[in-house]
Amino acid sequence: MVLPPDSLTNASVAARLTNAVNEKLTNNLIQKQNLVYLELNGCSGNIISLLNGENPDFAYALNSMVNFRYSNSLMVAEGTEAIEQMMNVLDEDFILAVEGAVALKNNGLYNVIGSYQGKPLTGLQAVSMLGEKATHILAVGACATHGGVSAAKPNPSESVGIQQVHPQRKVIKLPGCPVNPRWFLGTLAHLLLYGEPQTDHLDRPLMFYSTLIHDRCPRRPFFDQGIFAEKLGDPTCLFKLGCRGPVTRTDCPTKQWNGHVNWPIGNDTPCIGCSQFGFPDAMAPFISYDTTRVVKDE
Amino acid sequence: MRNIELLRLQLNHLVTQARNDLYILATMNDSPYKNQILQRLWETISSIEFLIEYLASLASLSSTQPTMPIPTDLVNEQIQPVTPSPDQPLPDYEYRIFTTQELATYDGKNGRPAFVAVNNLVYDVTNDSAWAAATHFGLEAGKDYTNEFASCHQGQLAILAALPVVGRLA
Repeated sequence: MVLPPDSLTNASVAARLTNAVNEKLTNNLIQKQNLVYLELNGCSGNIISLLNGENPDFAYALNSMVNFRYSNSLMVAEGTEAIEQMMNVLDEDFILAVEGAVALKNNGLYNVIGSYQGKPLTGLQAVSMLGEKATHILAVGACATHGGVSAAKPNPSESVGIQQVHPQRKVIKLPGCPVNPRWFLGTLAHLLLYGEPQTDHLDRPLMFYSTLIHDRCPRRPFFDQGIFAEKLGDPTCLFKLGCRGPVTRTDCPTKQWNGHVNWPIGNDTPCIGCSQFGFPDAMAPFISYDTTRVVKDE
Repeated sequence: MRNIELLRLQLNHLVTQARNDLYILATMNDSPYKNQILQRLWETISSIEFLIEYLASLASLSSTQPTMPIPTDLVNEQIQPVTPSPDQPLPDYEYRIFTTQELATYDGKNGRPAFVAVNNLVYDVTNDSAWAAATHFGLEAGKDYTNEFASCHQGQLAILAALPVVGRLA
Protein backbone atom coordinates (compact mmCIF):
# COMPACT_ATOMS: atom_id res chain seq x y z
CA MET A 1 0.00 0.00 0.00
CA VAL A 2 1.41 3.33 -1.08
CA LEU A 3 0.00 6.53 0.35
CA PRO A 4 0.86 10.20 -0.05
CA PRO A 5 3.30 11.91 0.36
CA ASP A 6 4.91 9.17 -1.78
CA SER A 7 4.49 10.08 -5.41
CA LEU A 8 1.55 8.33 -7.06
CA THR A 9 2.27 9.00 -10.71
CA ASN A 10 2.36 6.03 -13.06
CA ALA A 11 6.07 6.49 -13.64
CA SER A 12 6.90 6.49 -9.93
CA VAL A 13 4.68 3.47 -9.23
CA ALA A 14 6.33 1.56 -12.07
CA ALA A 15 9.78 2.60 -10.86
CA ARG A 16 8.98 1.52 -7.31
CA LEU A 17 7.78 -1.90 -8.48
CA THR A 18 10.71 -2.42 -10.84
CA ASN A 19 13.24 -1.42 -8.20
CA ALA A 20 11.63 -3.69 -5.62
CA VAL A 21 11.66 -6.66 -7.98
CA ASN A 22 15.22 -5.98 -9.18
CA GLU A 23 16.43 -5.72 -5.62
CA LYS A 24 14.85 -9.03 -4.70
CA LEU A 25 16.13 -10.67 -7.87
CA THR A 26 19.73 -9.56 -7.29
CA ASN A 27 19.56 -10.77 -3.70
CA ASN A 28 18.14 -14.09 -4.90
CA LEU A 29 14.99 -13.60 -2.85
CA ILE A 30 12.71 -14.42 -5.74
CA GLN A 31 12.98 -17.80 -7.29
CA LYS A 32 11.12 -19.40 -10.10
CA GLN A 33 8.70 -21.93 -8.73
CA ASN A 34 7.17 -24.97 -10.32
CA LEU A 35 3.65 -24.59 -11.64
CA VAL A 36 1.31 -27.44 -12.46
CA TYR A 37 -1.69 -26.28 -14.45
CA LEU A 38 -4.28 -29.01 -14.34
CA GLU A 39 -7.28 -28.93 -16.66
CA LEU A 40 -10.24 -30.98 -15.50
CA ASN A 41 -13.92 -30.93 -16.37
CA GLY A 42 -14.22 -27.64 -18.25
CA CYS A 43 -13.86 -25.95 -21.60
CA SER A 44 -10.21 -24.78 -21.49
CA GLY A 45 -11.53 -21.23 -21.61
CA ASN A 46 -9.32 -20.07 -18.77
CA ILE A 47 -6.08 -21.16 -20.36
CA ILE A 48 -7.09 -19.49 -23.62
CA SER A 49 -7.88 -16.36 -21.62
CA LEU A 50 -4.46 -16.70 -19.97
CA LEU A 51 -2.71 -16.61 -23.35
CA ASN A 52 -4.30 -13.19 -23.80
CA GLY A 53 -2.52 -11.75 -20.74
CA GLU A 54 -0.52 -8.54 -20.78
CA ASN A 55 2.00 -7.02 -18.38
CA PRO A 56 3.07 -9.68 -17.61
CA ASP A 57 2.11 -11.73 -20.63
CA PHE A 58 2.16 -15.50 -20.86
CA ALA A 59 5.64 -15.65 -22.39
CA TYR A 60 7.06 -13.63 -19.49
CA ALA A 61 5.30 -15.88 -16.98
CA LEU A 62 6.73 -18.93 -18.73
CA ASN A 63 10.27 -17.58 -19.00
CA SER A 64 10.72 -15.58 -15.82
CA MET A 65 8.09 -16.41 -13.23
CA VAL A 66 7.50 -20.17 -13.15
CA ASN A 67 8.73 -23.49 -14.43
CA PHE A 68 5.65 -24.67 -16.26
CA ARG A 69 5.83 -28.36 -15.44
CA TYR A 70 2.50 -29.67 -16.63
CA SER A 71 -0.41 -28.41 -18.69
CA ASN A 72 -2.88 -30.67 -20.48
CA SER A 73 -3.26 -28.26 -23.39
CA LEU A 74 0.07 -26.54 -23.80
CA MET A 75 2.83 -29.04 -23.07
CA VAL A 76 4.76 -30.72 -25.87
CA ALA A 77 4.81 -34.17 -24.29
CA GLU A 78 1.76 -36.33 -24.71
CA GLY A 79 0.28 -39.60 -23.46
CA THR A 80 2.20 -41.56 -20.86
CA GLU A 81 5.19 -39.27 -21.18
CA ALA A 82 3.10 -36.27 -20.15
CA ILE A 83 1.64 -38.08 -17.15
CA GLU A 84 5.17 -39.16 -16.12
CA GLN A 85 6.19 -35.51 -16.05
CA MET A 86 3.25 -34.75 -13.77
CA MET A 87 4.22 -37.59 -11.42
CA ASN A 88 7.82 -36.35 -11.29
CA VAL A 89 6.69 -33.01 -9.87
CA LEU A 90 5.17 -34.72 -6.85
CA ASP A 91 8.60 -34.97 -5.20
CA GLU A 92 9.25 -31.23 -5.51
CA ASP A 93 7.61 -28.03 -4.34
CA PHE A 94 5.02 -26.70 -6.74
CA ILE A 95 2.05 -24.38 -7.05
CA LEU A 96 -1.06 -26.11 -8.29
CA ALA A 97 -3.48 -24.22 -10.52
CA VAL A 98 -6.65 -26.07 -11.42
CA GLU A 99 -9.06 -25.16 -14.15
CA GLY A 100 -12.34 -27.02 -14.53
CA ALA A 101 -14.52 -28.84 -12.04
CA VAL A 102 -13.90 -32.23 -10.46
CA ALA A 103 -16.36 -34.86 -11.75
CA LEU A 104 -17.25 -37.16 -8.87
CA LYS A 105 -19.67 -39.57 -10.55
CA ASN A 106 -18.48 -43.18 -10.88
CA ASN A 107 -15.28 -42.41 -8.95
CA GLY A 108 -14.42 -39.63 -11.35
CA LEU A 109 -14.65 -41.69 -14.52
CA TYR A 110 -16.61 -38.91 -16.22
CA ASN A 111 -13.34 -36.98 -16.57
CA VAL A 112 -10.28 -39.00 -17.56
CA ILE A 113 -7.17 -36.90 -18.28
CA GLY A 114 -4.73 -39.65 -19.25
CA SER A 115 -3.57 -43.11 -18.31
CA TYR A 116 -0.98 -44.15 -15.77
CA GLN A 117 0.44 -47.66 -15.41
CA GLY A 118 -2.13 -48.97 -17.83
CA LYS A 119 -5.12 -47.60 -15.94
CA PRO A 120 -7.20 -44.51 -16.69
CA LEU A 121 -6.16 -41.53 -14.57
CA THR A 122 -9.21 -39.54 -13.55
CA GLY A 123 -9.29 -35.83 -12.80
CA LEU A 124 -10.40 -36.71 -9.29
CA GLN A 125 -7.31 -38.87 -8.70
CA ALA A 126 -4.99 -36.23 -10.16
CA VAL A 127 -6.37 -33.35 -8.12
CA SER A 128 -6.43 -35.42 -4.92
CA MET A 129 -2.80 -36.44 -5.38
CA LEU A 130 -1.44 -33.06 -6.49
CA GLY A 131 -3.59 -31.05 -4.07
CA GLU A 132 -2.13 -32.87 -1.05
CA LYS A 133 1.44 -32.00 -2.00
CA ALA A 134 1.09 -28.51 -3.51
CA THR A 135 2.42 -25.49 -1.62
CA HIS A 136 -0.53 -23.40 -2.82
CA ILE A 137 -3.73 -24.29 -4.65
CA LEU A 138 -5.32 -21.84 -7.07
CA ALA A 139 -8.82 -22.57 -8.32
CA VAL A 140 -8.92 -20.86 -11.70
CA GLY A 141 -12.30 -20.04 -13.17
CA ALA A 142 -15.92 -20.71 -12.30
CA CYS A 143 -15.81 -24.51 -12.59
CA ALA A 144 -12.78 -24.95 -10.33
CA THR A 145 -14.01 -22.48 -7.70
CA HIS A 146 -17.60 -23.66 -7.27
CA GLY A 147 -18.51 -26.09 -10.05
CA GLY A 148 -19.61 -23.40 -12.47
CA VAL A 149 -20.98 -24.40 -15.84
CA SER A 150 -19.87 -28.01 -15.34
CA ALA A 151 -22.04 -28.21 -12.22
CA ALA A 152 -25.04 -26.44 -13.76
CA LYS A 153 -28.34 -28.29 -13.49
CA PRO A 154 -28.82 -31.18 -13.93
CA ASN A 155 -25.07 -31.75 -13.41
CA PRO A 156 -24.87 -35.25 -14.94
CA SER A 157 -21.18 -35.69 -14.04
CA GLU A 158 -21.75 -34.62 -10.39
CA SER A 159 -19.11 -31.92 -10.76
CA VAL A 160 -17.89 -29.90 -7.77
CA GLY A 161 -15.25 -27.26 -7.05
CA ILE A 162 -11.73 -28.10 -5.84
CA GLN A 163 -12.52 -27.12 -2.26
CA GLN A 164 -14.87 -30.07 -1.86
CA VAL A 165 -12.05 -32.48 -2.69
CA HIS A 166 -9.69 -30.69 -0.29
CA PRO A 167 -11.94 -29.35 2.48
CA GLN A 168 -9.03 -28.83 4.88
CA ARG A 169 -6.78 -26.86 2.53
CA LYS A 170 -6.76 -23.19 1.72
CA VAL A 171 -7.81 -22.86 -1.91
CA ILE A 172 -7.35 -19.39 -3.37
CA LYS A 173 -10.40 -18.91 -5.53
CA LEU A 174 -10.40 -16.95 -8.74
CA PRO A 175 -13.97 -17.09 -10.04
CA GLY A 176 -14.78 -15.87 -13.54
CA CYS A 177 -15.92 -17.43 -16.76
CA PRO A 178 -13.27 -17.18 -17.95
CA VAL A 179 -10.84 -15.74 -15.43
CA ASN A 180 -9.32 -12.48 -16.55
CA PRO A 181 -5.61 -13.22 -17.22
CA ARG A 182 -4.77 -10.32 -14.92
CA TRP A 183 -6.49 -12.02 -11.98
CA PHE A 184 -4.55 -15.26 -12.47
CA LEU A 185 -1.15 -13.79 -13.36
CA GLY A 186 -1.51 -11.11 -10.67
CA THR A 187 -2.27 -13.69 -8.00
CA LEU A 188 0.60 -15.87 -9.22
CA ALA A 189 2.97 -12.90 -9.11
CA HIS A 190 1.80 -12.04 -5.60
CA LEU A 191 2.48 -15.61 -4.48
CA LEU A 192 6.03 -15.43 -5.85
CA LEU A 193 6.82 -11.95 -4.52
CA TYR A 194 4.95 -11.65 -1.23
CA GLY A 195 3.21 -14.96 -0.52
CA GLU A 196 -0.51 -15.43 -0.26
CA PRO A 197 -2.56 -12.35 -1.13
CA GLN A 198 -5.23 -11.03 1.23
CA THR A 199 -8.52 -12.74 0.54
CA ASP A 200 -12.16 -12.21 1.52
CA HIS A 201 -14.42 -14.69 3.35
CA LEU A 202 -14.87 -16.60 0.09
CA ASP A 203 -11.07 -16.85 -0.44
CA ARG A 204 -11.02 -14.41 -3.36
CA PRO A 205 -7.99 -12.07 -3.57
CA LEU A 206 -9.16 -8.64 -2.45
CA MET A 207 -6.95 -6.87 -4.96
CA PHE A 208 -9.19 -8.08 -7.79
CA TYR A 209 -12.52 -9.02 -6.23
CA SER A 210 -13.18 -6.43 -3.53
CA THR A 211 -15.47 -3.94 -5.26
CA LEU A 212 -18.97 -4.33 -6.62
CA ILE A 213 -19.15 -3.71 -10.36
CA HIS A 214 -22.23 -1.55 -9.68
CA ASP A 215 -20.18 0.77 -7.44
CA ARG A 216 -17.62 1.53 -10.16
CA CYS A 217 -19.92 1.30 -13.15
CA PRO A 218 -19.62 4.28 -15.50
CA ARG A 219 -23.40 3.97 -16.02
CA ARG A 220 -24.22 4.25 -12.33
CA PRO A 221 -25.69 7.77 -12.71
CA PHE A 222 -28.32 6.31 -15.06
CA PHE A 223 -29.29 3.81 -12.37
CA ASP A 224 -29.52 6.54 -9.75
CA GLN A 225 -31.73 8.61 -12.05
CA GLY A 226 -33.87 5.62 -13.04
CA ILE A 227 -32.96 5.77 -16.72
CA PHE A 228 -32.96 2.19 -17.94
CA ALA A 229 -32.08 0.50 -21.21
CA GLU A 230 -34.97 -1.33 -22.86
CA LYS A 231 -32.89 -3.33 -25.30
CA LEU A 232 -29.31 -4.38 -25.95
CA GLY A 233 -27.38 -1.48 -27.44
CA ASP A 234 -29.06 1.23 -25.37
CA PRO A 235 -26.28 3.33 -23.80
CA THR A 236 -27.94 3.59 -20.35
CA CYS A 237 -28.26 1.43 -17.21
CA LEU A 238 -28.87 -2.22 -18.08
CA PHE A 239 -30.50 -3.05 -14.71
CA LYS A 240 -33.96 -3.78 -16.11
CA LEU A 241 -32.50 -6.17 -18.67
CA GLY A 242 -31.04 -8.21 -15.81
CA CYS A 243 -27.55 -6.76 -15.22
CA ARG A 244 -25.76 -8.68 -12.44
CA GLY A 245 -23.22 -5.93 -11.79
CA PRO A 246 -24.92 -5.07 -8.48
CA VAL A 247 -24.19 -8.54 -7.07
CA THR A 248 -20.81 -9.26 -8.67
CA ARG A 249 -17.41 -8.19 -7.39
CA THR A 250 -14.59 -7.71 -9.90
CA ASP A 251 -12.43 -4.90 -11.26
CA CYS A 252 -13.99 -5.13 -14.75
CA PRO A 253 -15.31 -1.52 -14.87
CA THR A 254 -11.89 0.00 -14.29
CA LYS A 255 -9.40 -2.50 -15.72
CA GLN A 256 -11.59 -4.11 -18.38
CA TRP A 257 -10.63 -6.96 -20.72
CA ASN A 258 -8.41 -7.73 -23.70
CA GLY A 259 -5.71 -5.29 -22.64
CA HIS A 260 -8.07 -2.59 -21.35
CA VAL A 261 -10.02 -2.51 -24.64
CA ASN A 262 -13.57 -2.97 -23.41
CA TRP A 263 -15.90 -4.90 -21.13
CA PRO A 264 -19.49 -6.18 -21.41
CA ILE A 265 -21.31 -3.09 -20.14
CA GLY A 266 -19.05 -0.87 -22.24
CA ASN A 267 -20.40 -2.83 -25.19
CA ASP A 268 -24.04 -2.24 -24.16
CA THR A 269 -24.70 -5.78 -22.91
CA PRO A 270 -25.50 -6.58 -19.27
CA CYS A 271 -23.05 -8.18 -16.85
CA ILE A 272 -24.10 -11.85 -16.52
CA GLY A 273 -22.36 -12.29 -13.17
CA CYS A 274 -19.80 -14.78 -14.50
CA SER A 275 -17.59 -14.16 -11.46
CA GLN A 276 -20.31 -14.78 -8.91
CA PHE A 277 -20.53 -18.05 -6.99
CA GLY A 278 -23.36 -20.17 -8.33
CA PHE A 279 -22.92 -18.97 -11.92
CA PRO A 280 -24.57 -19.79 -14.27
CA ASP A 281 -27.73 -21.10 -12.57
CA ALA A 282 -27.84 -18.43 -9.87
CA MET A 283 -27.31 -15.64 -12.38
CA ALA A 284 -30.01 -16.75 -14.85
CA PRO A 285 -31.79 -15.35 -16.74
CA PHE A 286 -28.95 -13.50 -18.46
CA ILE A 287 -31.34 -11.21 -20.29
CA SER A 288 -34.99 -10.21 -19.78
CA TYR A 289 -37.00 -7.98 -22.09
CA ASP A 290 -40.35 -8.17 -20.31
CA THR A 291 -39.58 -6.03 -17.27
CA THR A 292 -39.75 -2.50 -18.59
CA ARG A 293 -42.56 -2.69 -21.09
CA VAL A 294 -45.81 -4.49 -21.65
CA VAL A 295 -45.46 -7.48 -23.92
CA LYS A 296 -48.79 -8.09 -25.65
CA ASP A 297 -48.76 -11.88 -25.95
CA GLU A 298 -47.52 -12.77 -22.53
CA MET B 1 -57.65 6.79 -4.96
CA ARG B 2 -54.46 7.87 -6.71
CA ASN B 3 -53.80 10.41 -3.96
CA ILE B 4 -54.26 7.82 -1.26
CA GLU B 5 -51.77 5.60 -3.07
CA LEU B 6 -49.24 8.42 -3.08
CA LEU B 7 -49.84 9.10 0.60
CA ARG B 8 -49.31 5.45 1.36
CA LEU B 9 -46.01 5.49 -0.50
CA GLN B 10 -44.99 8.62 1.39
CA LEU B 11 -45.89 6.97 4.69
CA ASN B 12 -43.89 3.89 3.80
CA HIS B 13 -40.96 6.06 2.93
CA LEU B 14 -41.19 7.83 6.28
CA VAL B 15 -41.48 4.56 8.17
CA THR B 16 -38.38 3.30 6.40
CA GLN B 17 -36.58 6.52 7.27
CA ALA B 18 -37.58 6.19 10.91
CA ARG B 19 -36.50 2.56 11.05
CA ASN B 20 -33.20 3.45 9.49
CA ASP B 21 -32.63 6.24 12.01
CA LEU B 22 -33.54 3.94 14.88
CA TYR B 23 -31.06 1.42 13.53
CA ILE B 24 -28.35 4.06 13.33
CA LEU B 25 -29.10 5.28 16.85
CA ALA B 26 -29.05 1.75 18.18
CA THR B 27 -25.68 0.97 16.66
CA MET B 28 -23.81 4.27 17.10
CA ASN B 29 -22.00 5.38 20.18
CA ASP B 30 -22.26 8.92 21.49
CA SER B 31 -21.46 11.21 18.64
CA PRO B 32 -22.18 14.80 17.65
CA TYR B 33 -24.59 13.49 14.98
CA LYS B 34 -26.90 12.00 17.56
CA ASN B 35 -28.90 15.18 18.04
CA GLN B 36 -29.30 15.66 14.31
CA ILE B 37 -30.64 12.15 13.90
CA LEU B 38 -32.99 12.57 16.85
CA GLN B 39 -34.22 15.80 15.29
CA ARG B 40 -34.81 14.03 11.96
CA LEU B 41 -36.60 11.19 13.73
CA TRP B 42 -38.83 13.69 15.53
CA GLU B 43 -39.70 15.36 12.22
CA THR B 44 -40.34 12.01 10.55
CA ILE B 45 -42.77 10.98 13.25
CA SER B 46 -44.48 14.37 13.04
CA SER B 47 -44.93 13.90 9.30
CA ILE B 48 -46.26 10.39 9.80
CA GLU B 49 -48.78 11.67 12.31
CA PHE B 50 -49.87 14.48 10.01
CA LEU B 51 -50.40 12.02 7.15
CA ILE B 52 -52.34 9.65 9.39
CA GLU B 53 -54.63 12.51 10.44
CA TYR B 54 -55.11 13.51 6.83
CA LEU B 55 -55.89 9.94 5.78
CA ALA B 56 -58.33 9.66 8.65
CA SER B 57 -60.17 12.75 7.53
CA LEU B 58 -60.37 11.30 4.02
CA ALA B 59 -61.63 8.03 5.43
CA SER B 60 -64.37 9.69 7.42
CA LEU B 61 -65.56 11.37 4.21
CA SER B 62 -65.64 8.17 2.20
CA SER B 63 -67.04 4.87 3.37
CA THR B 64 -63.97 2.68 3.28
CA GLN B 65 -63.94 -0.20 5.67
CA PRO B 66 -61.36 -0.09 8.43
CA THR B 67 -58.97 -3.03 8.56
CA MET B 68 -56.55 -2.22 11.33
CA PRO B 69 -56.53 0.44 14.05
CA ILE B 70 -53.41 2.51 14.50
CA PRO B 71 -52.13 3.04 18.03
CA THR B 72 -51.98 6.83 17.84
CA ASP B 73 -51.99 7.16 21.63
CA LEU B 74 -48.55 5.52 21.70
CA VAL B 75 -47.20 8.10 19.30
CA ASN B 76 -48.81 10.91 21.25
CA GLU B 77 -47.26 9.82 24.51
CA GLN B 78 -43.82 10.63 23.17
CA ILE B 79 -44.37 13.83 21.27
CA GLN B 80 -47.27 16.19 20.82
CA PRO B 81 -46.51 18.27 17.75
CA VAL B 82 -50.07 18.04 16.38
CA THR B 83 -52.80 17.46 18.92
CA PRO B 84 -55.83 15.85 17.31
CA SER B 85 -58.98 17.70 18.16
CA PRO B 86 -61.16 15.62 20.51
CA ASP B 87 -64.23 15.68 18.29
CA GLN B 88 -62.43 13.78 15.52
CA PRO B 89 -62.96 10.02 15.36
CA LEU B 90 -59.97 7.77 15.91
CA PRO B 91 -58.07 7.52 12.62
CA ASP B 92 -58.21 4.24 10.76
CA TYR B 93 -55.08 2.93 9.17
CA GLU B 94 -55.47 1.68 5.65
CA TYR B 95 -52.92 -1.08 5.31
CA ARG B 96 -52.52 -3.22 2.25
CA ILE B 97 -53.00 -6.93 2.83
CA PHE B 98 -51.71 -9.35 0.22
CA THR B 99 -52.82 -12.93 -0.27
CA THR B 100 -50.19 -15.27 -1.68
CA GLN B 101 -52.04 -15.20 -5.02
CA GLU B 102 -52.09 -11.39 -5.07
CA LEU B 103 -48.39 -11.28 -4.23
CA ALA B 104 -47.67 -13.62 -7.14
CA THR B 105 -49.00 -11.05 -9.61
CA TYR B 106 -46.28 -8.58 -8.55
CA ASP B 107 -43.58 -10.49 -10.42
CA GLY B 108 -41.90 -7.47 -12.01
CA LYS B 109 -42.84 -8.55 -15.51
CA ASN B 110 -44.65 -6.56 -18.18
CA GLY B 111 -44.05 -3.31 -16.37
CA ARG B 112 -45.59 -4.59 -13.10
CA PRO B 113 -43.83 -3.83 -9.81
CA ALA B 114 -41.74 -6.54 -8.14
CA PHE B 115 -42.70 -7.42 -4.54
CA VAL B 116 -41.33 -10.08 -2.21
CA ALA B 117 -42.40 -11.10 1.29
CA VAL B 118 -40.11 -11.74 4.26
CA ASN B 119 -41.49 -12.46 7.73
CA ASN B 120 -45.01 -11.53 6.61
CA LEU B 121 -44.04 -8.05 5.43
CA VAL B 122 -44.22 -7.29 1.73
CA TYR B 123 -41.32 -5.27 0.29
CA ASP B 124 -40.98 -3.45 -3.00
CA VAL B 125 -37.81 -4.59 -4.82
CA THR B 126 -38.73 -3.12 -8.22
CA ASN B 127 -35.77 -0.76 -8.20
CA ASP B 128 -33.52 -2.59 -5.77
CA SER B 129 -30.14 -3.04 -7.45
CA ALA B 130 -29.75 -6.66 -6.34
CA TRP B 131 -33.06 -7.57 -8.03
CA ALA B 132 -32.17 -6.88 -11.66
CA ALA B 133 -34.96 -8.03 -13.98
CA ALA B 134 -36.94 -8.94 -10.83
CA THR B 135 -34.68 -11.92 -10.14
CA HIS B 136 -32.11 -12.47 -7.41
CA PHE B 137 -29.81 -15.53 -7.39
CA GLY B 138 -32.38 -17.67 -9.14
CA LEU B 139 -35.33 -16.35 -7.08
CA GLU B 140 -38.21 -14.65 -8.87
CA ALA B 141 -40.22 -11.77 -7.44
CA GLY B 142 -43.81 -12.30 -6.27
CA LYS B 143 -43.15 -14.90 -3.58
CA ASP B 144 -42.52 -15.34 0.12
CA TYR B 145 -38.79 -15.71 0.75
CA THR B 146 -38.69 -15.84 4.56
CA ASN B 147 -36.66 -19.05 4.62
CA GLU B 148 -34.34 -18.00 1.80
CA PHE B 149 -33.62 -14.68 3.51
CA ALA B 150 -32.87 -16.45 6.78
CA SER B 151 -30.48 -18.89 5.13
CA CYS B 152 -28.47 -16.28 3.21
CA HIS B 153 -28.83 -13.01 5.13
CA GLN B 154 -29.41 -14.08 8.72
CA GLY B 155 -29.23 -11.12 11.06
CA GLN B 156 -28.76 -8.62 8.22
CA LEU B 157 -31.92 -6.70 9.01
CA ALA B 158 -30.44 -3.53 7.55
CA ILE B 159 -31.12 -5.03 4.12
CA LEU B 160 -34.84 -5.15 4.88
CA ALA B 161 -34.86 -1.79 6.61
CA ALA B 162 -33.66 -0.14 3.41
CA LEU B 163 -36.55 -1.55 1.34
CA PRO B 164 -39.93 0.19 1.03
CA VAL B 165 -42.71 -1.75 2.77
CA VAL B 166 -45.90 -1.99 0.73
CA GLY B 167 -48.04 -4.10 3.03
CA ARG B 168 -48.20 -7.40 4.75
CA LEU B 169 -49.03 -10.97 3.88
CA ALA B 170 -52.46 -12.27 4.82
